[in-house]
Amino acid sequence: MSETHPTFVLSPGPHLHTEESTSKIMWWVNGSLAPAALWGVFVFGINAAFVILASIAGAVLTEFVSQKALGRRPTLMDGSAVCTGLLLALTVNPNLPAWQAFLGSMFAIGLGKMIFGGLGFNLFNPALLGRAFLMATFPLNMTSGWATPRPWFGVPLDAVTTATPLAVLKEQGFEAAVKLVSSPVGLWNALALGFRPGSIGEVSLLLVAIGGAALLARRIITLAIPLSVLAGVALSTLHTGVPMLHLMSGGLWIGAFYMATDYVTSPSTTRAQIAFGLMIGLLTGMIRVYGGYPEGICYAILIANAMAPALDLWFRPKRTAIAGSPS
Amino acid sequence: MTTATSSLHTFGRGGIHPGPHKEATASREIEDLPTPSEVVLPLLQHLGEPAEPCVKKGEMVRRGQKIAEGGKTGVPLHAPISGKIKPVDKRPHPTMAIAMSLAIGANVEAGPELEFPEDPEWRNLPLEESLSRVREAGIVGLGGAAFPTWRKLEFARAAKVDLLVMNGAECEPYLTSDYRVMLAYPTEIVEGSVLIAKIAGAKKVLIGVESDKPDAIEAIGKAAAALTDRSIPVEVVPCVARYPQGAEKQLVFAVSGRTVPARQLPSAVGVLVQNVATAQAVYDALRYRKPLLDRILTVTGPGIVQPRNVRAPLGASLADIVEFCGGIKPETHRMVAGGPMMGRSLPRLDVPLIKGMNGLVMLTGRGPLEDGFGACIRCGRCLDACPLGLEPDQVSVRVEVGRTLDCEPHGALDCYECGCCSYVCPSSRPLVQFMQVAKSALRRAAATRSAS
Repeated sequence: MSETHPTFVLSPGPHLHTEESTSKIMWWVNGSLAPAALWGVFVFGINAAFVILASIAGAVLTEFVSQKALGRRPTLMDGSAVCTGLLLALTVNPNLPAWQAFLGSMFAIGLGKMIFGGLGFNLFNPALLGRAFLMATFPLNMTSGWATPRPWFGVPLDAVTTATPLAVLKEQGFEAAVKLVSSPVGLWNALALGFRPGSIGEVSLLLVAIGGAALLARRIITLAIPLSVLAGVALSTLHTGVPMLHLMSGGLWIGAFYMATDYVTSPSTTRAQIAFGLMIGLLTGMIRVYGGYPEGICYAILIANAMAPALDLWFRPKRTAIAGSPS
Repeated sequence: MTTATSSLHTFGRGGIHPGPHKEATASREIEDLPTPSEVVLPLLQHLGEPAEPCVKKGEMVRRGQKIAEGGKTGVPLHAPISGKIKPVDKRPHPTMAIAMSLAIGANVEAGPELEFPEDPEWRNLPLEESLSRVREAGIVGLGGAAFPTWRKLEFARAAKVDLLVMNGAECEPYLTSDYRVMLAYPTEIVEGSVLIAKIAGAKKVLIGVESDKPDAIEAIGKAAAALTDRSIPVEVVPCVARYPQGAEKQLVFAVSGRTVPARQLPSAVGVLVQNVATAQAVYDALRYRKPLLDRILTVTGPGIVQPRNVRAPLGASLADIVEFCGGIKPETHRMVAGGPMMGRSLPRLDVPLIKGMNGLVMLTGRGPLEDGFGACIRCGRCLDACPLGLEPDQVSVRVEVGRTLDCEPHGALDCYECGCCSYVCPSSRPLVQFMQVAKSALRRAAATRSAS
């Protein structure tokens, strides 16, 4: 036993670990958003690209500076700041001045995330906080002057107004909304493919759904939240007679698949997630139908975010073995 | 896939699929380690009091001879090789750093192994005699816990168990020692199970084996069908290959449908659980009065040159065992005694093989915690993975801010540390250790309360 033996690193168990990591998850989310983002640029033009880049830059810089200032290890490569910046950009008007998008994502990361302690500690979805900040600060730029979609294979769109379908629905009714988007490809095609005025990333339901499907297939998200959000919207807009228009408009899908499913700000158990999603869906419909805004998903999610920690305590996992009486 | 597994037995919720990693050794037969030049036997390698040496320095002992008494709560030790007793001294111990140990230097002059003739009455021994033979053979739980088997059997009998569940699940990744034992000694395991059932007073034996070992299921099934003693029915129950299928609570539920209450033993629902390798040892003890002298373990992992299933005398140096397996590769970074999910990492090779060590896994690459860990992102993966329905996320964030005593409602006291939560955590959080911190703080607080 006198000869020298190699020594080994001591580590606590378990000694195996999944390949999955927080940064992998974040980059998958970012990657799955890329098609919708690129499509937004294609449909609305180059300013959409400036908005996306400015928003990501604002998020990344703010996170880097605040981590440096607080003496923490910068964690830019975990992809979460990029994710917030990207998500914020996808929920704003493609004609928004890029510097305003930059400011919005500074707010999102600075006061939405870092002030709470960084990744994992924020109560509200940072991207949606940034959007709410922009709505309050630059309401005109956020809600008017919507970009006109690019002509469809040379056929000019009959889009004299550049209000969004939901705004037209709210102010002028269903017929006007149909008229806005139905030419020349038909109402539902326009909604599914994204040939209608709207935010950068929300316009193509198809691409958002493909991105969401990738996250589902990769088991990063489950259907519990997105489906219950959609169900809640259907329930709360049924009496308007046009639930399908509501289900296919606005930022609902990007909200349901990407914002409401944000791990940090949503509950973790399936039953809590269903309650959370239904709450978001019902609030969205109520805001759209009775509230002052044509779109309600942003505020509905922010309100539900406040409930997430409580929902986790109300809907606990079921124990497989209950402790017997102490003996 | 679901249709193929739906007829198999399994536990209710949670669990993980860390990958079997068993290919390297599954098809290799058990190979004998050449007699080492020295064995070191820690007096404490089981739960209970340390063994008391009953031989003197310089004395020649034959393999199989008793060298230490078990006392009231422990088990005796026997010479695993023939040779000369060295002075009792403090020696490196795998889990206790340093411990008082007997050592034997191999010496052919000491003579051959003791003979262990068959006792023709072995099937019909009185209860007291059976228990005494299990005790005198130095048998402890060979699945890793190393609890003296005679005490467990006595306890099970007092608790009036009616069912014996034999654990052949071997759900730990990498390990194949139980699998090879089942293939090599199916009759011994089945006969041993019946003997154990009789001692414990159980009326039935269910042997749970994961379905990724079809030949073991077949071998055990054939042995059970060939039993001449039919007083106790023996049945093989194929289980889904899913970690932690071999954890007592999960296995009992899988094979019998009984739910062991949290913080209690299977005896609370009338069940005794024993490892298959223990049954083989009990068989040897009752039929031949042969004590526990060797241990079969899997030496494997990406860091070992020739992965093998090895039978080695107790007390053999891990260095000798590793050398028998071709040595370690230079990139070997960590060594785990036991399975990689619930085993312990050991710093050095110059420690002896002890009774509870069923595997030695050489791992390359950095450990989960070596690069630190991140904040909880509340993804909920640990909630889905926990087989008990506990909340490792809630416990971990409370422990981080010092609120350990608020962790009880989230299950900290119920956790038996299977490691599923830590395995799935994308932030590499040491959730098992957070559970441990909370558990010990809660227990301390309870002890203080009851003392005052």
